Parts: sequence; structure tokens; C-alpha cells
Amino acid sequence: MTKTPRRVAITGLGLVTPLGNDVPATWKALLAGRSGVAPITHFEADGFPVHIAAEAKGFDPRHVIEDRKLLRLADRSQAMGLVAAQEALRDAGIRPEAADATRWACVVGSGKAGLGFGELVEVHRHCAPDGTFHPERLLTDGFAMDPLAFQRSQTCAGLAILLHRFGIRGYATSVHTACASGSQAVGTAMKLIRRGAADHVLAGGFDSMIHPIGLASFCLLGALSPDNEAPERASRPFDATRNGFVLGEGAGLLVLEEWSAARRRGARIYAELAGDGNSLSSYRITDPNPSGDGPIQAMRQALTTAGARPEDVDYLNAHGTSTLMNDRSECAAVRAVFGAHAGQIGVSSTKSLMGHLIAGAGAVEAVVCALAIHHEVLPVNANLTTPDPECDLDFVRGKPRARRIRVALSNSFGFGGSNSCLALRNPEEVDG
Amino acid sequence: MSARVVVTGTGAICAAGKSPGEIWGAVCTGRPAIRPIQQWDTSGWPTSLAGQIAGLDPRALVDDRKLHRLLQRSDLLGLYAAARALDDSGFVAYRKALEATAAATVNDRTGVYVGMGGGSYQNEYEFFPLLTTANGDLRAFGRELTATVNPMWLLRSMPNNVLCYVGIRHGLKGPNACLTNHSVSGSLAIAEAAAALRAGEADRALAVGHDAPIEPQMVLYYHQLGLLSADGLWPFDARRSGSVLGEGAAALLLETEKAAAERDATVFGEFLGSGCSSEAEGLLPIRADGDGLAGAIATALGDAGMRPAEVGLIVAHGSGTQASDASEALAIRRVFGDAGPPVTAFKWAFGHPLAASGILDSVLALVALRHRVVPGVATLREPDPHVGSLPVSALPQAPRSDVALILNRGFGGSNTALVFRAAAGDAP
Repeated sequence: MTKTPRRVAITGLGLVTPLGNDVPATWKALLAGRSGVAPITHFEADGFPVHIAAEAKGFDPRHVIEDRKLLRLADRSQAMGLVAAQEALRDAGIRPEAADATRWACVVGSGKAGLGFGELVEVHRHCAPDGTFHPERLLTDGFAMDPLAFQRSQTCAGLAILLHRFGIRGYATSVHTACASGSQAVGTAMKLIRRGAADHVLAGGFDSMIHPIGLASFCLLGALSPDNEAPERASRPFDATRNGFVLGEGAGLLVLEEWSAARRRGARIYAELAGDGNSLSSYRITDPNPSGDGPIQAMRQALTTAGARPEDVDYLNAHGTSTLMNDRSECAAVRAVFGAHAGQIGVSSTKSLMGHLIAGAGAVEAVVCALAIHHEVLPVNANLTTPDPECDLDFVRGKPRARRIRVALSNSFGFGGSNSCLALRNPEEVDG
Repeated sequence: MSARVVVTGTGAICAAGKSPGEIWGAVCTGRPAIRPIQQWDTSGWPTSLAGQIAGLDPRALVDDRKLHRLLQRSDLLGLYAAARALDDSGFVAYRKALEATAAATVNDRTGVYVGMGGGSYQNEYEFFPLLTTANGDLRAFGRELTATVNPMWLLRSMPNNVLCYVGIRHGLKGPNACLTNHSVSGSLAIAEAAAALRAGEADRALAVGHDAPIEPQMVLYYHQLGLLSADGLWPFDARRSGSVLGEGAAALLLETEKAAAERDATVFGEFLGSGCSSEAEGLLPIRADGDGLAGAIATALGDAGMRPAEVGLIVAHGSGTQASDASEALAIRRVFGDAGPPVTAFKWAFGHPLAASGILDSVLALVALRHRVVPGVATLREPDPHVGSLPVSALPQAPRSDVALILNRGFGGSNTALVFRAAAGDAP
């Protein structure tokens, strides 16, 4: 006897992005082609080689979350996750209840944890004013012993806040595969429902590295676009003149439900989360393989697990960081997977407008794919004016493109060679 | 019908030894490898004990010296355990004998799942000289940055380094994940690796857990939160006064039964099931009634298709804190009643290696099943009357069957349970 495989419905969406502090504001700005990139305002960044970023504007979690005590436990990225999660659950119109809390799971991609910059400065002032660390001075350093600072510095802190706030009592974990973290979290969540380990999952990712250490770490690697004078043009994935990515911040959360249960309760289904592929490039720690090896396997696996053929795909939300090598390698991978059909797929990197949200990127872009399927429109790949012959796909240029999508893919590739690809299917393709 | 998942290779390192056999030997002698911290001068510190790996030579862990500058201590431990498990399994020799296309397919069909605990504070201290130079001026901080800080700083501090370098060093390219959920990260890596094999996404998957939390700021935080003992880690003892941080790494190679048979691999045991639950009460609280852990155990037994009476031994989390041990004992009693199997725990022997725990405990549980011995919790002198009816002993006990249940608990009220069966065969 074969069991009917369990399908996964996306029924709730939540966003905090450089384009808006919720889904409607972000989607509107995305369709209007408004860039979220501007000079950094979070701190005095003028002295850094790069001092532009895509900041979330006017983000204040207190507008949405009344629990001040809970907010004290959260750093900026965790607060963004909390706000986006609340929007996603409200949007889905369902939340964990005492009777089913153990059948709710939570999987989130969270950023590289650590001390906040202010706390690091205090530890430096007290324990290392001469630049050398004196461990014994920690014993009299209030900042170094503040339990709240410790809690915020834990990789699972954001997860714990979400579990507590929403009463989720089933499977729970945070994951981290650098820039692929968000999509890895969403893919892991899909598999939990498929294998019966959960019926509902709150899944997504959040990150904010727009602080002195985060900005410094990417400046040191030379990975950022140095176009300080033209921030809105700085992120131009697949353009021949591209010269690096733009750091962004934000959160994307999704409510996933077992398909038949979602249908029974009459939920609005944005899309089926239909497939997930992930692979390791196992090539070099920073560079992608020019052949596309790694991403190729991830995309193929996403199609296989979705039960989809390459020619079913109408939209690809590319990883498209706007770095020279990544974009070239991604295009090579797309051509290898789709062959002649590659030219039939509308492709855009929404990082062109919202920058690179690092551990949040994949989740936010999965939300964008769900919205694109739901609204039947492909968002634009902004700033693509000088075509690169090595990137010869059908990019959505100039303005958004009206198109009904059968299957959408979302690519996310992390430093170190973790590649994730999600496949989303139009709900009408599932059950009409 | 999903594939059966078997274990064909193990590797481990911690304060008690540098291989599963060595660690097992140390556990059986009953002498804890917990010592005063050597890494910095702890005179005047409220607690100074840890389970540190003594005389750690990076070259003995990872031969490629270039990597020593690109990785943190925890990463080196993880890479070491991963390489030992692959060697142990005979996988490398098997792949070497294949022609190129077949070997490439094997690589694409071999996954890597890593559990790690989080970053180190010391890594951020590399910005201290720059902060001194900048003297409070962020513009100067930005200006002097590239002249002062190692350009590879971010790469060294990436939480997914073990995942990436296991891939690069061993050529593995299959499905993968890096779980970052404190002390249940390692057990979740096993659960996800096994799920990928059951679902047919991969034929083989390496699960690795690693952690190295022994550093000044971490020790102080754990102390502040009342989690550390100044005297020793004494699970389920009335005298227990907290945990002791350890460090280490462990790895398991999992294969589908078919993939293992194809290469005539020696099978150590079978993965039967996993369960995970959370208590939803915040990062630090633990429910007194053990409800979350009891739920994880029930889920794991359900996944394994097994009744509680079939479990032969339990490896408890046994972290040595008042709250965790008491609620863990309650959870075990809720599932098993008065007639539970022998219970042991290993952290008394080498400290609490956080994210490495789940895999280290699983590796040792498989050794215990093979030897048909449940090692004693050697530190146990005065069983806590509140947990008194738990079948835990300072002396070795006999397992009731060839099935082990392994429990782990972490921050955020996370609980995991894993079920393994020993391979059929004679005791060594």
C-alpha cells in the first residue's frame, strides 16, 4: 500500500525588509522598483570603505509587540523575526493552541551570533584598553556578566523567543548556512511536515549585520559594492558592471501547514512549498565553481522533490548577489539544469532593490516567490542596464512582468558552498 | 517503506580520549577527566573546572596547516571527528576503488549534517587592537580597519565551517544542514541525516557535532546563571551543584542498509527513531515536570515503532544541574514507570560538550550495547531521594535489550531523544 505523500501549503507570510516593515509595504515598493539602499544611518559609517546599506527604515518592534520584557531579550534581528512571525501567523489566521502545540514546529535561519557592538566596546574598555585581553578583569566587568547580553548572543536566542511568544512545543531548531540559512530553514520545515514530524511550522530567517563588526567583516573580504556615491544603483545583479553586493537586514517568516488540513479549514493558500534541494559545492570557501557545480545539484533536487519538470518552471528568484563570480556561476548552473527552457524562465534577483539579507535572504525571497505566484507578477531585476554576455537569461528588466507562474524556484547559495533551492507551486496546479 | 538506516563509522574526541575506544575505557575506569582550567589563570574565579582536551596539537587534529589559521578550535575538533568516522567506516577506500563517474555519484549522494553550538566571544576580541587604535572614534575604526584586522576574520568565525570543510576535504556534495540549537544540535544532526536517508535524498550521510565553549567570558556567563559547579559534575546525586563545561566532537557515518551492503561495510548499529520537542518557556527555564522531554521520548519511540519495555538502556542528559536532572528523572519515570531500564549518563566523565553531546553520547551508547554493559555513573555517592527510584548506579549494570535511548536537552527548552539498536553479533 502506498501512502499519499503529505503536501505542504504556505498559508501565512510576514516580512520586515529594507523596503517596508510588513508584507504589503514591501510588495508595493518591490513592484514600484523603489530601492532600499542608502547611506548607513545606524552608526557613523563614513570612515568605512563602504558606507551604504539597505537598512530597514523606521523599524520599531514596540509598534507591534507590546511585551517589553520579551523585547529586552531580543537584539535587532531577533526583534525583526518576532515582528515578521506575528504578521505571518495573523495572516494565516491560525496559531498554536494548547491542544495542538506539540504538532507545531519552528525552524529559523539566524545570523552569526555574538556580542552586540556596544557590549564589545564595553568589554574592551574594561578588559582590554591597551588592546590586549586581560581575563581577570572580566570578574569586575558588569557588561561581561549581564545575563541579558548572554541570552541575546546565543545562536538559538531568536528561536527561543518565537517558541515562547507563540507557544510552539514541537520540533524546534535554528540553522545556519551563511547566506543560504533562510532557505535551508524553510526547506527543513517542509520536510518536517512531509515526514509527519509536524502538521504546522513557523519557518523563516532573520539577520542584521548592519553594525560596525558586520560591515567591517564584509569590507575586509572586499565583497561589498564600493559605490558609495550611487547607493540605489550599487546592487545590480547580472549587470556587466556589477562590483559587489549590498548588505541588507530584515526577516521573512512563513506559516506552513499540511495541505489537506489547510484546505479543510478554508485557508488561503499562497502556494505549495513543493520541493527543496541542497548541496555542497565542496570547491573553495569563498568562490563558487564557475561551472555551476553545486547549485546544479540543488536545483535538480528541488525539481525532483517537487515532482516537477524543468519546463514547468516560469519564475526563478535568483540568488543574484551582484558579485562577479556568483552571478556568472549561477547563470551557468541555470543553463545546465534547464537547457533550452532556460530562455523561457523569467529571472530576477530582488537583492537589486533590498540588498542581501544574509541569513534572512532565502526566507524573504521565498516569501517573494509566494507573492509572485499569488499576484501573478514577476518582480523586477533592477539596475540591469549593461547586459553581461555571460549572464544571458531572460531577466525581468525595467518593470515587473505580469505572468501566471506554475512553478517558481528560489536560489540561495552561502559562503562555504552550501546551496539551497526551494520550489513553490501554484495552488491551482495542485487541486485546481 | 522508508529505508533502514545503519551506522558504519564513528569518531570522537573529548577530555576523556581521542577515539571512541579510548573514551569508553576512561568511562569504565570511573575517573573523570575534569580538571582545573589551564587556558588562563583562574585564581580568584568562582569556578575553575572544565573538561578540557589536554595537550591539544592542531597538527594532530588536522594535517593541513593552512586551515589552522582559518578555523577555530571547535572547527578543528569537528573536522578531526569527521575524518575519523569516515576512516573508520572504510568509505574512503571504497570510493577510491570506483571509477570517476561512479565516485562522483557517490559524492553527490553523500550528505553532511553538522550540529554546532554557536560562536566564541574570543573571536570578536580580535577587534580589540582596532578599538584601542580608534579610541572611541568610529570613523577611525572604519579607516584603520583593513590595516589592523585579519581580512579572513569573517570566514574564520562562520558557524558552518565544519560543514563546508568536511565537504571540501572529503569531496562530499550531498544534502546538508548546519543545526545551531545549543546542546541538542548534535542529536538534531543525526535526526536530519537519518531523515534524508529515509526519504531517499541521499545514500549516506555524515553527522558531526562539535563545540569548544571553554573560554573566560562563556564560563562567567554560565556561572552567573547558576549553571556551573565549583566542585564537579555529579548527575542525579543529592550533592550535585551544577554542570561543568567540556569540549569535543563526535561523528557518525549513517548509510541506508542497501548502501552499506553494497560495499560490505561493517555495521555497528541501526538508527531507529528520533523525537524533538520544546517547552516554549524562554531560553533558560526548564519545566519542572519534564513534560517536554517525556514528549520527545514518546515521539522517538513512536518513530521507532517500539514500546518502552523494549528499551535496554537509557543514556540520560545528566548535566548535573538541580533543575535539569530532577525534571529529567520525572520524564523518564513518566514514560517508563517503576520498571525502567538501566540509566546512565556520561558527562561526569568529560564535562558537558554542549552541541557535541548528542553524537558523543550516541557513539558511546553503541559501544555500550556492543559490550553489553551499562557503565556506572562513577561519581554517584548519594542518589537524590527525589530521583531515587531511577535505576542509576555507580556500578556497571546489564542492558535489558540491544536498544539504547539517548536523551539531550538544551537552551530554549529543547529536548531530543534518539533510539539505536546494536548490530547483531557477539560481544567482543
